[in-house]
Amino acid sequence: MLRRRATIVLLTALALTACSAPGSDKKAAGDDSGPIKIALVDAQSGQLSSLGAWELKGAKLAVDEWNAQGGINGRQIQLDVFDDQGDPTVGTNLARKIDSEGYIGMIGTAESAVTIAMAPTLKQAEIPNICSGQSPGLVAVGSEFLFLNGPTSTTYDETLAKYIVDGQGIKNIAMITNNGSYGKGEHDAFLKALKARNVTPLADQVVTTDQKDFSAALTGIRQKNPKVIFLGAEEVESGLIVKQARDLGITATFAGAAPQGTPVFLDTAGAKNAEGTIVSSPYLSNDISEASKKFAAAYLAKYNEAAELHGAKAYDGAQIMLTALKSSNVATGKELADAIRATKYQGLLGGFAYDKTGVGIFATSIGTIKDGKLVAASS
Amino acid sequence: MRQLRFAPLALIAVAAWLLPYGLDSYAIHVVNVILIFAVLAIGLGLCMGVGGQVNLAQVAFFGIGAYATAILTTRSGYGFWISAVLALAATVAIGLVIGTPALRVQSHYLGIVTLGLALAFTNWVTNAEITGGAEGISAIPVPTLPGVDLSSEYLYYYLELIVFTVVLVFGLFVVRTGLGRRMRAMRDDALAAGALGAEVPVLRMTAFLLASIYGGVGGVLYAGLIRYVAPESFSIANMFLLLGMVIIGGRQSLIGCVVGAIGLSLVREAFVDHPTVAQIGYGAVVVLVVVFAPTGLAGLPGRIRSWWSRRRGQPGTAARLQPFQPYPALAERADAEEVLRVTALSKQFRGLKALDDLSLTVTEGEIRGIVGPNGSGKTTLFNVISGLYRPTRGRVEFRGRDVTNQAPYRLARAGMSRTFQNLRLFGDLTVEENLLVALDRSATVDSWRYVLRPISVLRRNRDLHRQAREVLDRYGLTEFAGLPPKSLPYGIQRRVEIARAVAAGPSLLLLDEPAAGLNGEEVRQLSEIVRSVRDSGITVIIIEHNMGLVMSLCERITVLAGGRVIAEGGPAEVATHPAVIEAYLGDSMDDIPPVAEEASR
Amino acid sequence: MQVFLQTIVGGVSLGAVYALVALGFSLVYRTMGLVNFAHGNVVTVGAYLASTFYLSSKLPFALAMVIAIGVTGAIGLVIERVLRPLENRDFDLMLIGTIGFGIVLDALIIMIWGATGRAVPSPVPSAPIDVFGLRIRTYDLVVLAIAAVATVLLVLFLSRTKRGAAMQAVAMDHEAATAVGIHVGRSNAIAFMIGAGLAALAGGLVGPLLYVSPALGGALGIKGFAAAILGGFGSIPGAIVGGIAIGILDSFAAGHFQGYSELVTFLVFTVIIMIRPTGVFGERTVNRA
Repeated sequence: MLRRRATIVLLTALALTACSAPGSDKKAAGDDSGPIKIALVDAQSGQLSSLGAWELKGAKLAVDEWNAQGGINGRQIQLDVFDDQGDPTVGTNLARKIDSEGYIGMIGTAESAVTIAMAPTLKQAEIPNICSGQSPGLVAVGSEFLFLNGPTSTTYDETLAKYIVDGQGIKNIAMITNNGSYGKGEHDAFLKALKARNVTPLADQVVTTDQKDFSAALTGIRQKNPKVIFLGAEEVESGLIVKQARDLGITATFAGAAPQGTPVFLDTAGAKNAEGTIVSSPYLSNDISEASKKFAAAYLAKYNEAAELHGAKAYDGAQIMLTALKSSNVATGKELADAIRATKYQGLLGGFAYDKTGVGIFATSIGTIKDGKLVAASS
Repeated sequence: MRQLRFAPLALIAVAAWLLPYGLDSYAIHVVNVILIFAVLAIGLGLCMGVGGQVNLAQVAFFGIGAYATAILTTRSGYGFWISAVLALAATVAIGLVIGTPALRVQSHYLGIVTLGLALAFTNWVTNAEITGGAEGISAIPVPTLPGVDLSSEYLYYYLELIVFTVVLVFGLFVVRTGLGRRMRAMRDDALAAGALGAEVPVLRMTAFLLASIYGGVGGVLYAGLIRYVAPESFSIANMFLLLGMVIIGGRQSLIGCVVGAIGLSLVREAFVDHPTVAQIGYGAVVVLVVVFAPTGLAGLPGRIRSWWSRRRGQPGTAARLQPFQPYPALAERADAEEVLRVTALSKQFRGLKALDDLSLTVTEGEIRGIVGPNGSGKTTLFNVISGLYRPTRGRVEFRGRDVTNQAPYRLARAGMSRTFQNLRLFGDLTVEENLLVALDRSATVDSWRYVLRPISVLRRNRDLHRQAREVLDRYGLTEFAGLPPKSLPYGIQRRVEIARAVAAGPSLLLLDEPAAGLNGEEVRQLSEIVRSVRDSGITVIIIEHNMGLVMSLCERITVLAGGRVIAEGGPAEVATHPAVIEAYLGDSMDDIPPVAEEASR
Repeated sequence: MQVFLQTIVGGVSLGAVYALVALGFSLVYRTMGLVNFAHGNVVTVGAYLASTFYLSSKLPFALAMVIAIGVTGAIGLVIERVLRPLENRDFDLMLIGTIGFGIVLDALIIMIWGATGRAVPSPVPSAPIDVFGLRIRTYDLVVLAIAAVATVLLVLFLSRTKRGAAMQAVAMDHEAATAVGIHVGRSNAIAFMIGAGLAALAGGLVGPLLYVSPALGGALGIKGFAAAILGGFGSIPGAIVGGIAIGILDSFAAGHFQGYSELVTFLVFTVIIMIRPTGVFGERTVNRA
């Protein structure tokens, strides 16, 4: 008898609850008082956490500047950090979290795969996101809430190919790229740029992201005797490849995008080995303009270390987000996204003007490594 | 009483049903992810905790399920549910392939092989065009269900909850009935399980089969929930996290695995801004658990209970051994057939000749004694007869059939049963379950019944329990039914092992030193049992050092020395044989090697 | 042909490091039947310690290595002490316990040294030697030489010293060893210490070759373990042969299958283990049934 009664109670409860679907809670997004909440999502732990650390420093610098000047419309800006651990699953969790906790904008991530994973949720929640990836895959997502704080691989590699093939007239080019999301993007973009110039690479070697010995790939390349070797891998792996290539007696010049201009790359490869490397980057050095000098000085004062590309990109991204917030009178959702799209901003990387795809800048500069420093190329 | 037993369950059910009403959209997402991990943890628990197969590829099964769903929906354009079924099938197929090394290697070898294959999987998805490379596959369509919008995480929760409940109940159903029992027996002692007819190779594959089904289900749910797959989600770090859940929760208990999955996920969620601290925390907990509480959280109540009762000075139990009730004797048959014929058997261990051209015949209804000095090859002979060793030369015929080189479980199923010199009871099973393993002669390949005819499985299980109670009664073990064998006095453990061997319903029973370590009264009871067993129609071969027992019990005695038969005949005849006397006085050979470990077989 | 030979050279130099890692695995396993899954993380710790002393404290490379080996050996002792209750009891639980230790060490490394890595300059002049078009790095030769010396020393220690003989006895039968008065716990502790020291040696040596980061040991650990099993788990010469074999297999897989190299390496490894579970030199420990 007792059991039957329990069943009835249970069923009634179910019937009652079934009528109203759960989850009709309204989030307190359009809140007009208190600080403006912006989320920074990046890997703060795991293999990619160095990128995350740089991004945080850059973005925080921008936010602090605004807060020091009184914030926006008298409201302070609150930048909260979330760790995605470089894992897309964690990223999707965080996308929901920043939605439910009422963040109106997001900065990051540096890992394209994580950003792509988060994009649908952010789109649904109408939270504009300025990310630091450069993969063409980010554009392919087609979300009007997703923006890049730099050029895509296509731009990087188009500029690079233009410089090498058109400018220097070099056609003996070999490629070595890894199979990670960055390396794959670089591989495809550079190959496309070469194809457009009717150049076929002498060798097209793919390595894994955690490979340690490249003698097989590099010996293969050595036999083809290229003049330039294109590197599509992150800082450390690129450094190892260059080091081992020099040990194998390869004298060709290396070329690559942003990672090949960083100190980590230089340290890993050894400055002597990396000499002459051609780099396509939107931010060649800290003293490229007045703005970058000012940024680098502030960065050095705050963190006691030299600023670099990723910090600069995140700084630009945060500035754009904040400028749009100001111009739109702290709008949220679609309105804020439109405001970002309408923002014309002269940043450290150059002039930003967003198009429909969420890309705001389409130019990089060519630099070379001279005496262990990245300097603008004299073409 | 019965109603009350279901009250907490009903309460949990209502709480689970109402849970989403108290959660915001982020929390419900976290809960949805936790449920997926719980499903994976159950699968890992079934494979590792229940089946004893170290499986570090569970995360790969998870990935295969998710990726297959993603590929089939986005690339091939199938509907979500068709894709889900196909994905599950793909996971199971690959799971069985990944499981095949378990047939050859165990323990840490299996660990590194499965780990390597899991790495191979992530390597493949990072490279292949079809899996979208490192960027993964996005825009997996929302699963459709008429009338329910599954793009809402709240409604998706109910889908997951139902699936979770079904797979949990199914898991518990497996663990608590014949299949799970046999897997646990194999985990505790694969040799003894094989000697009782458990098809060890099939069971190992079944363990991987179950793991891959759960992995596939988890993967499908993941694909439907996150709607995006990328290689990083199926990394080794996540595998170790999953392992941590199962170990902390208690790998041998499915409920424990679920508790571990929920607990560890919540703790990680609490420390989401300090992942490094969380990592140190859960790593340390894993270490502490394996050292101090190997049974995990699930084992804690039991440990506290036993600690409490020990503190209160209660003697373990008041259970007492009851006398053995003899089997009804069968009328003696005049035309006794040959049960066992061993011809020119030799077994060589590297340099050592353990058996040397040995021949032996045993006829139906006999109690045959095998004696000999240490190292004369007695146990080796048993091991060859029961299929644990492959003979170097010679043949073994059992009831007229050549059974040389047959797997132990085949011999067991053909009617051969044995005990071991140094007891091999299943330590983590109760006494009753030890007997149930022996009584259950259903084939593991018939496990499809679990899915298609669960009622018949339950009915059969009830039947077995009734039989087990009869055996317990007969051997006077009823009061020990629910206890783990390790907690029992040695003499009782011996009796359990014999009861178990006889429960398997053999026509030939091999007893390896059954009287070792028994006191005078226990030896007397033993000889009574052995005689009754023989009278019930079972032929018995007994290896024994206790000469008094052998002389009084056996009609014929075979004496071994140096791996050869040196004398055979009635007790009086053998005792005065000159070769026997010489062998016993001039005994100086080393002990023969013990039963080899599985991994080296 | 040149690609073939150069690939072998590359494989051997990394293989020497795998061999050192495998040596540590095997030594611990043969002595106490424990598979130390934290071994790879201990390699990382060793690499960080060595590079810290070498770069920050400006000590000579050799001295930095010695200190790193010492400190890491102490960590080995701690791990052994904590897991001692499980010794000779449950294979799988110990295995999982060491995985737990690995997780903790991994997090500690990130806490102490941060998640970014560091490059370590080569302590010897890096100009490679040119042999008929084959380029051999001087540092690789140093690594090979140290690996060889370490192996010889280890074999001498096990066969010529009293302590080593005691450890051999424990490896063969720990109960009998206890019976003749050998302190099994101490033997195990020493095995663990030497194992961790070997890990530090491998880590320290690999630093200038690669890049020291928290992820360094993970891959080395798994490959090193595979090497130990391939050579015959518990066998000292097996560890060396297995290490070099995995190194070469790795290099060739990378050359021929490019991105898919890891897949190929582990598939080949699995097939070999299925065909011959005892590895090249067979399992040297006694059965523990």
